[in-house]
Amino acid sequence: MKLIYSHLKTFLPDLNVEPQKLRDDLTMIGHWTNYFEKIEGEIVFDLDIKTNRGDCLGYYGLARDLSVLYDLPLESLSNDGLPKSNYTLPIKVETDNVTRVMAVKIVHIQNQKSPDWLQKFVRIHGANSINTLVDLTNYAMYMYGIPNHAFDTSKSTDNLIWQMNPKYTEFRSLDGTHLPIDKSILMVNNRSTALSLSFWGGESCAIDNSTTNTIIEFAVYNPTTVHQNSHQLKVTTEAATRLEKFLDPDLIPSAINFLSKLIIENCGGSIGSNIYDYYPNPLETPSINFDHNSSSIISGINIPTDFSKKTLTNLGCVVVNNPDPAKDDGTVSLVTPPSIRKDITISEDLAEEVIRFCGYNNIPKDQPLNSKKVKDITPAEIFLIEQIKDRLVSEGYDEVITWPLVSEAVDPKTVIKTENSINAEVIYLRQSLIPSLKQQLDQYKRYKLPNPKFFEIGKIYHQANGQYVEKYALGTYDGEKINETMLDDLEKPDSYIPSDQYNHAIELTSQIISLDANVNLDRPQDPISLIKIYSEQIDKDILWSMEIVDIYQTRYTFRVSYYNCDDKTAKKIHLKTFNLN
Amino acid sequence: MKLDEIKNEIGSCQSTSELENIRIKYLGRSGLINQEFAKIKTATDPKQFGIELNNLKNSVEKLISEKQNILPKIENCELKIENSNFGLPKIGHLHPITITERQLNEVFRKLGFSIYNSPEIVTDEYNFERLNVPKNHPARDMQDTIYIHEPNYLLRTQTSTIESYLLQKEGQNLPIRAAFPGSVYRNEKVNRSNHFVFHQYQAVVIDRGVTMKDLIGTMDLMFKTLYGDGVVVRYRCKYYPEVEPGVGPDMQCFNCHGAGCTLCKHAGWIEMGGSGMIHPKVLEMAGIDHHIYSGFAFGMGLDRWTMAQNNITDIRTLMGGNLAYKPTEL
Repeated sequence: MKLIYSHLKTFLPDLNVEPQKLRDDLTMIGHWTNYFEKIEGEIVFDLDIKTNRGDCLGYYGLARDLSVLYDLPLESLSNDGLPKSNYTLPIKVETDNVTRVMAVKIVHIQNQKSPDWLQKFVRIHGANSINTLVDLTNYAMYMYGIPNHAFDTSKSTDNLIWQMNPKYTEFRSLDGTHLPIDKSILMVNNRSTALSLSFWGGESCAIDNSTTNTIIEFAVYNPTTVHQNSHQLKVTTEAATRLEKFLDPDLIPSAINFLSKLIIENCGGSIGSNIYDYYPNPLETPSINFDHNSSSIISGINIPTDFSKKTLTNLGCVVVNNPDPAKDDGTVSLVTPPSIRKDITISEDLAEEVIRFCGYNNIPKDQPLNSKKVKDITPAEIFLIEQIKDRLVSEGYDEVITWPLVSEAVDPKTVIKTENSINAEVIYLRQSLIPSLKQQLDQYKRYKLPNPKFFEIGKIYHQANGQYVEKYALGTYDGEKINETMLDDLEKPDSYIPSDQYNHAIELTSQIISLDANVNLDRPQDPISLIKIYSEQIDKDILWSMEIVDIYQTRYTFRVSYYNCDDKTAKKIHLKTFNLN
Repeated sequence: MKLDEIKNEIGSCQSTSELENIRIKYLGRSGLINQEFAKIKTATDPKQFGIELNNLKNSVEKLISEKQNILPKIENCELKIENSNFGLPKIGHLHPITITERQLNEVFRKLGFSIYNSPEIVTDEYNFERLNVPKNHPARDMQDTIYIHEPNYLLRTQTSTIESYLLQKEGQNLPIRAAFPGSVYRNEKVNRSNHFVFHQYQAVVIDRGVTMKDLIGTMDLMFKTLYGDGVVVRYRCKYYPEVEPGVGPDMQCFNCHGAGCTLCKHAGWIEMGGSGMIHPKVLEMAGIDHHIYSGFAFGMGLDRWTMAQNNITDIRTLMGGNLAYKPTEL
């Protein structure tokens, strides 16, 4: 999500923090901020808002967090009401999937091209400027985090009905996309036309420059329904991203007030109806018994009760002392979070709030867990795997890891097939390591790898008696044939600590460059001594192996494999070592 | 024909077939020594010529016989070289992922952790619900799941699934300290940067009085083990459904040292995984009283780190032993 510094000041007029500090602070309190940049004269931040913080998909929610962090006053929201009208909108809601809808009609507007500031705002947020009315609806969504929609009532009429799709087979979106829809789709219609989805407006009632009368609505829905609809239609919109999270229905009155005034301010016109408000079951905010010591207990550092109380109060929580005076030592409170914070439901959530504003960076980093004798529950199979790996490596085997999903079934009757793998060529869970190791061997042969010996320890899978079975197998290629052994068949050690003498030349997957050198000596010499002499001249970090592959009279042919370096470097070192220049 | 020359010839012979050729060359019916014997009649001193030639023949026979005894050892010269111990990498090689896992296992074993594992084909319950991710939770969208039988059976998408099994099985035998490397699956198209299978590492502690200080201190120890004492890691608030509070470790970008570059997408920091205090609901689902016990969990991916360590730029190289071997002769 983009955040424009100057517009953040709408809610935090006293904000005066260096952009870099703001970026880092936003990240530290949970809103990962990649970077900030200057766009069209504005300082713009790029944020990643987590799924639990739907409230921060609007400037207002982020401003609330920052007001606590910087102890700055938050601009209070306007709820002073809109002018009354004699007209009541004939809107109906006929589904339980609507939590709240507020709507109002604005008449006699003059819609036109957006003013420059508005065009710039929507452009920075990645949208195209359409016209003033449409751009203002987007502006209000970004500011309050709650999606809204404007209907051209000359096309939609005032008879808006929220319901699950009653009969339509197709919906045509604002951008002209045709979407096939079924009865599971939540929508707005007027009995004859599908006007809008919960998260995407329709072409049939789109706002254009000729629009004079409009109904604007803000709504909060069952987030699961929006999520499912969006997934089913494979459409993600800015509105869907917000509506599939828990939004605050209690923020809608302020938001509709804000947008209505902006429209009249920028497009003229007047309020043409009373506010329609459907909110049959106002959401209850939980009251949580909170021990202020819990922030210290969870964090491991001392966080004073006063700080805890102040932080929660600044967040908009109602903090009431323990109702039981006998137990009231000032450390336990009954805390009611603000309605906008749907993510706070238990004591630990409150503790997190206190700790994040205290600062995770105040928790020391140099005090790890103490070593402690705890019952070892390591399965014997893991000891066996480590033991086999060490033994095979000491015998010259290289370890490989091959794909657990394969293209062919060994036994089609018992194979386990994936249902939705997007890699259509590999859809079966392997039933044996042997085919994969054969492929590995073929590959090594193609590359003319000298004397390959390798192994893999991995799971193999099958179905038996309606159950999915997975077992560890050991596959080896010893230079002659590929073998497979089930680990279940092997005796397991009671314990095994693997060697910590890791062969530093672990880079099996690095490019290996193999070069030969013919060296003529004046007399026959011991090959092992020769290898020792020459190998000591080469840096061990780039020497993979050295061997003598041919001896004819006093001519010795060395084959040297290099790694961790490019072809040129290897060749240069090779020529120098064997004096081949 | 001098004995020294024949001696050299036999001495430099490296195979039984080559030795046989030498034997035929000198001792064969039409061999050079027999050809010399044919010259005995024309020799100035036939007796002396015969004695010398017989001595030569006996010497050559003896040399060849001796050579026959040692040739197998020479022919196995490569084997001897492979097994000789002079500091060269003559033993086999562990896969880079195994090395990384062992480095981490070693850190945690010293702190009293067990190493644990659990099935890869799991139910929705263990992969999601026991980790406080109920059906339709938006967090599920972050993980493209490969299903075996939708919606119940799937390939685990995270090593937190092992935590679900661990808590269910050992939740009544507290305290627990366990670490678990494991393969996890996501429905990703295989290409240079993505794979459907990758490797994660997770550690879990449940005990009385476990705090975020323990978590952050232990993670920092782990990062220092992997990256060296100079590594700069910050810990910040981060959301994961299975923990509360959540903690995100970020490493200062090793390329730009925090200034911002394309590698770190101009953030100056690189996200290193996720962690936090185990959510009370997760403990409750395992029958653990969260008023008495607390715990932490953290997890991180191993593939990127291992690739960076080994200068591997294509994840397909890491999996499947796609060894870019290039035999080249001068």
